[in-house]
Amino acid sequence: MNTNLKISNVTKIYPGCVANDNVSLEFNSGKIYALLGENGAGKSTLVKILSGVVIPDEGKIYLNENILKLNSPSDAKKNDIGMVFQHFNLFETLSVFENLIIDSDEKRESLREKIDTIMKKYNFSIDLDIPVLNLSAGQKQKVEIIRCLIRSPKVLIMDEPTSVLTEQETSELFLSLKKFSEEGILIIYITHKLKEVMQLCDEVAVMRRGKLVSVSQIKNENLESLANKMVGQDLKIIKKKKENNSSEQLININNLNFTSEDPFETNLVDINFSVNRGECLGIAGISGNGQSELFQVLSGEIISNKNSIEFNKNYIGDLNPQERREYLMAFSPEDRLEQAAIPQMAIFENVALNNFKSSNFFNNGLINESKIKEHSKKIISDFNVNTDNIDLKSQFLSGGNLQKLIIGRELITSPDLLICFNPTWGLDVGAINYIHETLIKINEQNKSIILISTDTDELLKLSDKISVIHKGKLSKIMNAEEVTSEKLGILMGGGN
Amino acid sequence: MIKIVKRDQPSKTIFFFTPVLAIFLTLVAGGLIFYILGFKPFEALKFFFIVPIADKYGLSELLLKATPLCLIAIGLSFCFKSNNWNIGAEGQLTFGAIVSGGVALLFYDQEGFYILPLVILSGAIGGMIYASIPAILKTYFNTNEILVSLMLVYVSKLILDYLVVGPWSNPEGFNFPETRQFSDSARLPLLFEGLRIHTGIFLALAAVVISWFVFYKTYLGFQMKVSGFSLKTAKYAGYKGKKMIILVFLISGACAGLAGVGEITGPIGQLHREVSPDYGFTAIIVAFLGRLHPVGIIFASLVVAITYLGAETAQIFMQIPKYTGQVFQGMILFFLLASDYLLYFKFKFIDSKK
Repeated sequence: MNTNLKISNVTKIYPGCVANDNVSLEFNSGKIYALLGENGAGKSTLVKILSGVVIPDEGKIYLNENILKLNSPSDAKKNDIGMVFQHFNLFETLSVFENLIIDSDEKRESLREKIDTIMKKYNFSIDLDIPVLNLSAGQKQKVEIIRCLIRSPKVLIMDEPTSVLTEQETSELFLSLKKFSEEGILIIYITHKLKEVMQLCDEVAVMRRGKLVSVSQIKNENLESLANKMVGQDLKIIKKKKENNSSEQLININNLNFTSEDPFETNLVDINFSVNRGECLGIAGISGNGQSELFQVLSGEIISNKNSIEFNKNYIGDLNPQERREYLMAFSPEDRLEQAAIPQMAIFENVALNNFKSSNFFNNGLINESKIKEHSKKIISDFNVNTDNIDLKSQFLSGGNLQKLIIGRELITSPDLLICFNPTWGLDVGAINYIHETLIKINEQNKSIILISTDTDELLKLSDKISVIHKGKLSKIMNAEEVTSEKLGILMGGGN
Repeated sequence: MIKIVKRDQPSKTIFFFTPVLAIFLTLVAGGLIFYILGFKPFEALKFFFIVPIADKYGLSELLLKATPLCLIAIGLSFCFKSNNWNIGAEGQLTFGAIVSGGVALLFYDQEGFYILPLVILSGAIGGMIYASIPAILKTYFNTNEILVSLMLVYVSKLILDYLVVGPWSNPEGFNFPETRQFSDSARLPLLFEGLRIHTGIFLALAAVVISWFVFYKTYLGFQMKVSGFSLKTAKYAGYKGKKMIILVFLISGACAGLAGVGEITGPIGQLHREVSPDYGFTAIIVAFLGRLHPVGIIFASLVVAITYLGAETAQIFMQIPKYTGQVFQGMILFFLLASDYLLYFKFKFIDSKK
């Protein structure tokens, strides 16, 4: 049976922003549709409208020519619209089976049979009786999908489903999605990753700033054309010249171990690596495998054995971040709003967080506000931060501008080594491009980077050498040219 | 139809306007309460807020009450601005009074210029010691400072009770629960003959200036601010965040301890059971009413001090129970918190036909 889902003239306005501006779209079963757009383009709002979480100000939704009233998520469920969110909605301590039956009134036995059939049909192998916390991210996602399939949905919406998956898990997911589509389930796939759209989908709708920009067949598109539609301007393709002329070692990590008292943190085991001048070492891995701990050990938030870190021929393992900065190291943490900056403080105050002796921000214990402000203005103009008011609280900067400010703050003192952790996480393509260009420039100036990132494409683009972190252990260090994303995927999953 | 909409940015005007609005609403609600109780509202309000400060003696009393409130609130503003919820200033005041009172009693039969500085210093140290308990428990054992600092208030009051009834009670005092009178050298000098206002007011004013300077002009103040917003950021910047937490508690404790010294070496002149009419708790209201800003706190301490005086006057002249003063203090805080809602939200009038 064919399913036809129609969105007609949907508008949703939030204070200060039109999230969906008169969007009309039509979907038919048998095809996989991509909804493509940058962060803030309005994809999520549209999806929330389809799943009943958000009620549109104007417009209607039709399923097989019938008007749908979606006032709550349960309305969406009743009308056979299934939804898998980016963040899992599972009870970690309950078993897989309990998670699956939690919102169903059918009998346990019949459900068990139903689930078994579904699992057989799609080749899912998950132990139903172990707690969810023992599952990998890919398995958790399968649980979410099964939860939708139990209700035999007509429409399945996937919201950025691959952000937590390895390469292998992603291709498994794609196989399943194609199978669902063949069986007549209408699939809407939300993403900002162009490659996935090309791989998986049949038709693509691009959104930008709340408006629907284009609807087209995938066969008429390529990566560049989609990227340009998504960003709304021609994008420069950045490429790094991979050459390594220096063999002078800048930082050397020697048998570094970290054992945490916190059961939710990862222990680091026998970390050894070194980075030369002008080089970028990428560290790949699925989040939660010790990246955060590694960053903190490198930045000095976690103090380690003095001799375990040698930087520029000094042993600095026992120094705190401020002392390490004096040796010309700089750090850009993952969490922009909770750690790298304080949203409630003004831009210039945030600049003062990276404080060198030679920067003279504080003289004899007093704040030298004019010096800080002068410095802040320079960062704002040098790094294209889109404001001219340095008294503005930094919470009013967009993610991209805040990240530019942070990177600018760390770089303005021209450090020898920048350590950054997911520097482009959650940014739009324009800002990502800018940050990537900046990082390449650092290497060109014969300065070094340690790039800890969960984005494999980013790592392959920027790194000279790559290593993978898995359960607190680093893999051997490989030359970036010899590495493929498949190889990284295997290592990230703990394989060899 | 009226719709409540979130503001994009907290309004600056409203930020300074809400304390005024809160005071106004308190007066209206207070008048209403008087009316319900059968008093003439305007007359009662007059006895409450105008009569007490209509003469020289009244003004002196106003400053006398405002001094400890201001001093404690200044100390608390350090804690509150850095997200440390020290609500045990009353206990720190009491313990400061105990320690400084003990030192003063050591010299009860002696005169000398060095006695008063010693007494003042020991009061500040006493307050600091007492504030360090919740601070250390919070930073190293993750306890909740609200609970610990509050409970310690009652501990300190019981210690004081024990001392004035037992070991420190005046041997010639017919078993009254009070100590000997301090010697004149341990007393803060009076500013004017015949009025109770004393030189302790300069301690409060010094605290205002110093706190403004430290918080807005020094690296130390900057570090306290950052640590208060986010310990993670403080760590990343290389600040000693935990030490900053302990430091703000110590500052706050020292101020409360000094307020205790001011009370016992000023108007009281000895230790007894009631060294403070809950100044330590009322100062929390003062700190917020003054928007945690040193200048704001000066004004707020004067406003709240009136409620102490007004309650006494109203009791004497109109037989209104003096606990009405506390009702007023409560109402000020209540209306302040309620009108703070306007900081983040605004009313929007929408055409109801749509």
